Amino acid sequence: MTDALGGWLRGAARRADRGVTFVDRREREHQAPWSELVARAALVAGGLMELGVEAGDRVALVFPTGEGFLAAFLGTLIVGAAPAPLPPPSRLGNLDEQQRRLAAMLGAAAPRLVLADAPLLPLLREPVAAIRPAVRAWTLDELPRAASVAPVEVDEETLGLVQFSSGTTGTPKPVALSRRALAVQARLLNSLWPDVEANGGAPHERSEHSGNLVHRGFSWLPLHHDMGLVGCVLPALERPADMWLLPPEAFVAKPALWLRGISRARATVSVGPTFAYARALRRIRDEELDGVDLSSWRHALCGAEAVSPQTLDAFADRFARWGFRREALTAVYGLAEAGLAVTFGALDAPVAVDRFDRRALLAGRAVADPEGREIAGVGMPLPGFAVSARDDEGRELPPGRVGTIWVRGPSLMDGYLGDAAATARVLRDGWLDTGDLGFLDAGGELFLVGRSKDLVIVRGRNHAPEEIEEAAASVEGVRPGGVAAVGWLPERAAEEELLLLVERARGDVIDGVAALASACRDAVRARIGVEAGRVAVLDPGTLPRTSSGKLRRGEALRRWLAGELAGAGGDSAIGAPSPAGSAEQG
Amino acid sequence: MDPAAAISPGEIRGTLAEIASRLGYRGSLSPELRLVEDLRLDSVGILTLAVEVEDRFRICLDAADEAAIRTVGDLERILRAKLEA
Repeated sequence: MTDALGGWLRGAARRADRGVTFVDRREREHQAPWSELVARAALVAGGLMELGVEAGDRVALVFPTGEGFLAAFLGTLIVGAAPAPLPPPSRLGNLDEQQRRLAAMLGAAAPRLVLADAPLLPLLREPVAAIRPAVRAWTLDELPRAASVAPVEVDEETLGLVQFSSGTTGTPKPVALSRRALAVQARLLNSLWPDVEANGGAPHERSEHSGNLVHRGFSWLPLHHDMGLVGCVLPALERPADMWLLPPEAFVAKPALWLRGISRARATVSVGPTFAYARALRRIRDEELDGVDLSSWRHALCGAEAVSPQTLDAFADRFARWGFRREALTAVYGLAEAGLAVTFGALDAPVAVDRFDRRALLAGRAVADPEGREIAGVGMPLPGFAVSARDDEGRELPPGRVGTIWVRGPSLMDGYLGDAAATARVLRDGWLDTGDLGFLDAGGELFLVGRSKDLVIVRGRNHAPEEIEEAAASVEGVRPGGVAAVGWLPERAAEEELLLLVERARGDVIDGVAALASACRDAVRARIGVEAGRVAVLDPGTLPRTSSGKLRRGEALRRWLAGELAGAGGDSAIGAPSPAGSAEQG
Repeated sequence: MDPAAAISPGEIRGTLAEIASRLGYRGSLSPELRLVEDLRLDSVGILTLAVEVEDRFRICLDAADEAAIRTVGDLERILRAKLEA
């Protein structure tokens, strides 16, 4: 069956009335109609074809947010090849570390060639040189000049995108998504917010123009990340819709640009992870929102990491003044391995938040408790998707029982590219092991309580726990191999935090427990660039392990939360919180 | 930026102190303070610092500049060089 993307590209090529507006951090805007974007991409496609790129080949892309990315991305799709977007090296970061990761990702993607933004080329020399068989990195200007190419017809099962995901262990793995999976996701998302024509719209719909409701997206999400690419760019292409793009670095440095941008664009849809809502709340000053009107923002989606009910609540409270509506907030859940979106909270309704008994949760049962831990529901499965909570043996659990979440649906990945073993570990009989822990309530809504996969998410970035643990373990006074790094969402915390559980070495601690905790914190910050939320120093041999000596991180977190780990103390947040939860310090 | 109205080292230090304060570092700055270890900046903090510095001083930091910046002193030196150019 022929894929749909070719048709979308042809459709977008005819539209000069809709396009993508690129906003920079000084809020200068540059608008490019879809017709121009596709025309430029068609020339890129011609160059790629000249170089022998064929349907099903991978083309690695290393670009910041901008026209170059779109030209490369769409151009790759036009020739029927699969883009493999990679994170461009970020500023002032540990360059050696980033180049190492890029080299690993390039190796895993096995691209036919690499397209890169010109200023990034010098930084990519080493990682690209390590690829076998050898490939070359090209800037768009260097591509052979060839006649533009019309979208090549390919079967919908052709590889459509290689999306890097942290998978279950924190090291990026290449998720292979077919063209069909991409089409399913874009159509599904667009079906949630249909455009409304003047005479067809429901009378009660609030709209900018009399009777009309035309959706526009605003996104600052990185384009190499699935939420930004499959979640925003592809649905915009499908319509085609007007789309505004802001570089992620600009948002991180000045979160006001997000809200100001939505207001200027009169955007109706914009997504962010929890940390983004928390950052906006904390860093934006009232003066920066002079004249800003957020009433157009009908769908403020929150996903990609644990949803903090307190953060969203505080966000809605604070920005109501500028027209933000609480009902716009919708919690969502998905993962790259599933194509992207799996569950969606009810649109036009506040986020569902319920309270559960803490002790019961630690024991695997969801029991309603008006004084309990608040957890946000992440909604019902989207059409075509199914979600189930299963025990360690893979047996389905009844509602209210905490288990590993498995999902099934029409956009699941074909697998991890070139890694059948890793694929087999998560894909079984058409179901995908998400590595997340949660339960379904009686009505079938999904609630997440944590992760069984070993992944740490802090301030929107994914980290492999091993790297963090190695950094902390290098500190003198720490027992070799005696560190567990776990990500979690503390109650009443704005966003997910890193918890370091550190076993002290046998014998006296030279400078005291507080100094040891502080040194571990410094080492992790220096090497990984991440601030640990809490550091707990434990007696040697306290961390739970398997019979073969492997660290059990999920169990370590569970025990720490339950107050079962013998410890010497820690830094500002002393030891473990009591199961009642209220003893935690911010 | 008017080249004739050269910015003094004191003003550079003052502006950096303001930026650092907004990033959570309340102490006074001295040249030997390391951005990561002493100002306790994580990757988000470092990125924010880079962007704020570029915006406040109206200069551009390239990859070569950034690779050389480890301390407050490094940053001040590079800023002075760019502002005098």
